[in-house]
Amino acid sequence: MKILVAVKQVAALDEDFEIRADEKDVDEDFLLYDLNEWDDFSLEEAMKIKEAGTTEVEVVVVSVGPDRVDESLRKCLAKGADRAIRVWDDSIEGSDAIAIGRILAAVAKKEAPDMIFAGVQSSDQAYASTGISTAAYLNWPHAAVVADLQYQAGNKSAVVRRELEGGLLQEVEINCPAVLTIQLGINKPRYASLRGIKQAAAKPIEEVTLSDIGLSGADVGAGNSMSHVRRMYIPAKGRAEMIEGTIAEQAAKLIQIMNEFKGV
Amino acid sequence: MRVANSATALVDLALKAGDSYSAAAVYSIAESKQKHQLKELMFGKRRDALALARWEHTPASVLEALCSASDDAIVVRLDKNQNTPTLAISKLYVAENQRSKSSASLTVLVAQHRHASLSVLKNIAQFEDDEASLLAVSKNLAANSEVLSILLDRFESSSILAALQKNISEHPSTSPQLLEQLYEKGDVYVKAAVIGHANCPLQLIDKALLEENVFIQRQLAADKRLNNEVISRLSLHQDKSVRCAVASNAIASNDVIKLLAVDESDVVRRVIASRLDLTSHVISRLMNDQDVWVRQKLARNPTVSFGVFDKLSKDLQADVRRGVARNPRCPVKLLHLLAKDEDYWVRSAVAYQHRTSKQLLIELADDTAVDVLSGVANNPNTPQRLLKKLTASAEADVRRGVILNPSATRLTLLPLLEDAYYLHRLMLVGNSKLKDKDKWHLCFDPDYQVRFTAFKYFAGHFIKSSS
Repeated sequence: MKILVAVKQVAALDEDFEIRADEKDVDEDFLLYDLNEWDDFSLEEAMKIKEAGTTEVEVVVVSVGPDRVDESLRKCLAKGADRAIRVWDDSIEGSDAIAIGRILAAVAKKEAPDMIFAGVQSSDQAYASTGISTAAYLNWPHAAVVADLQYQAGNKSAVVRRELEGGLLQEVEINCPAVLTIQLGINKPRYASLRGIKQAAAKPIEEVTLSDIGLSGADVGAGNSMSHVRRMYIPAKGRAEMIEGTIAEQAAKLIQIMNEFKGV
Repeated sequence: MRVANSATALVDLALKAGDSYSAAAVYSIAESKQKHQLKELMFGKRRDALALARWEHTPASVLEALCSASDDAIVVRLDKNQNTPTLAISKLYVAENQRSKSSASLTVLVAQHRHASLSVLKNIAQFEDDEASLLAVSKNLAANSEVLSILLDRFESSSILAALQKNISEHPSTSPQLLEQLYEKGDVYVKAAVIGHANCPLQLIDKALLEENVFIQRQLAADKRLNNEVISRLSLHQDKSVRCAVASNAIASNDVIKLLAVDESDVVRRVIASRLDLTSHVISRLMNDQDVWVRQKLARNPTVSFGVFDKLSKDLQADVRRGVARNPRCPVKLLHLLAKDEDYWVRSAVAYQHRTSKQLLIELADDTAVDVLSGVANNPNTPQRLLKKLTASAEADVRRGVILNPSATRLTLLPLLEDAYYLHRLMLVGNSKLKDKDKWHLCFDPDYQVRFTAFKYFAGHFIKSSS
């Protein structure tokens, strides 16, 4: 039995940052990279199934990204994932979440997992569509925003509780294989043990190219995505002024501002 | 690997590690040639230099070494970093002034920096026109009365005067003379702040007695220089905040305390319940108060008698029973009773209580609640064999309790050096029970923060030995 966990190395912004010269992203020097928080929960859910079942379960983490992503994959290996796969080709640069879903689906076809877990969303881009698009390319059932999972390795279906608005939970039975997008708080992610970290450092990360999974540059990248970033910018701030003084003075100042605004 | 026996050897190891954070930790003990290599490692990549300029733990010596950078983004981060030393802040201010087009936002950052020198602050107060910078100086705790006085004099008829007066009236360095000036010219909020100021002269207190404004009276009611007659009058004030201030005033007489113990406001009675000079009559009244928080405050009060503890330990509200269990004078007999409380939060308080006996802690160690076990792990009376067992707990809070326990021995702590949670390993770097050879491997920890802390710890040995 195999669970494929799709993970992403996300970028966090520092307090102050600069936008890249092409205005399409933040300058990389100002970004701090880490494993997407949602994916930590996805991996833990897979590890729970692996550790609870009598059936042997292989947990494989997969990510699409350049060399630096190895650091996040090693983190997953240190927490107990059996294998790690990184897909990259320069032509992938600029791919939207749907194109990434296509790549992950291609990996899934090759790996033939029984379940795929992904985070509900990534903390940097927040499209919340990678997992779902993977399911669409595979033509598999999917459940989004899973806050609870009842599933034993080898079962033909799983019962999931989906988190809805207003504190509602929706209990859904879903046929397997399926793609589940996992919500924060579903479990308590573990810290990697020092032993696990040392072992992970020695484990290989499988580097996969587009051709290895039956895709080409024509299937991915900004030019072949359904959406692309036109520009990224910081919106101009509105004016704000703290009005000081006595209540009478504040009222007088307020009237003056309103008159100026109306052009009186 | 053996512990480095010289500063040079330690710096060489940091260089070999090739990590900018480890390099930052040893920078202050490096020789000039090594410093050059460390700089290359720390600042060679803009990304690393930016990260160190922003990081709240970056040592002052590293930030100072960075302050000659011409990169605007780094300068902003240095101005914001609260560790940037005085000399570096002064250099940054001078450099900013020498630029053809200086930035007001950078001046604001300098003006609000806790390490800004008096001469820089004085210069801003005297010559800058940017309002945000001037207001930042008026709030900066590094400013002295002279700087604050310059601001008030310079902007006597300016639109920012009200804001300056407000900030300066709350500034701890404001002199009595300046406070008098502010009281004469300020609005009611400024006057109230002046009356509440630690340097407020007595003559202003006398003047304030004639004021009817409630904001001023609230500050006045807390002043310890008032006479009994004024305190009694203010204890009848219709505003509950004024009565609260009286209730917290150490000079309030027994009659005033007795009166406020039956005050209509819960908030006032809560303040009274925390006083350390309550008579038995007042305590009896508060013990039966309908407000849970009043009874809880009383339960935490270390001056109450056994009878009070006994009654409150049977209170229907768990928060009150917990208050008894947390009280440093809680009788041991009651701790035994509360250790069996149905509420885990009460049992947790017993587990944390330093009067709890070894035997009781052994019993509490069988509890399933994490908060109770954390208390057992923290308690210096817990037997060592139990602490050792708790180091294997699956709960990080429990293991952290052992790390924080002053009685935990070296042998108990050793397994925690391999704890999965990086913060635990980091906390152990400074633990005096562990030997240097135990901690040495933390210099090569997978987590950069642990490595930084360990290198800094060992670097500290050489700073001490050279001074």
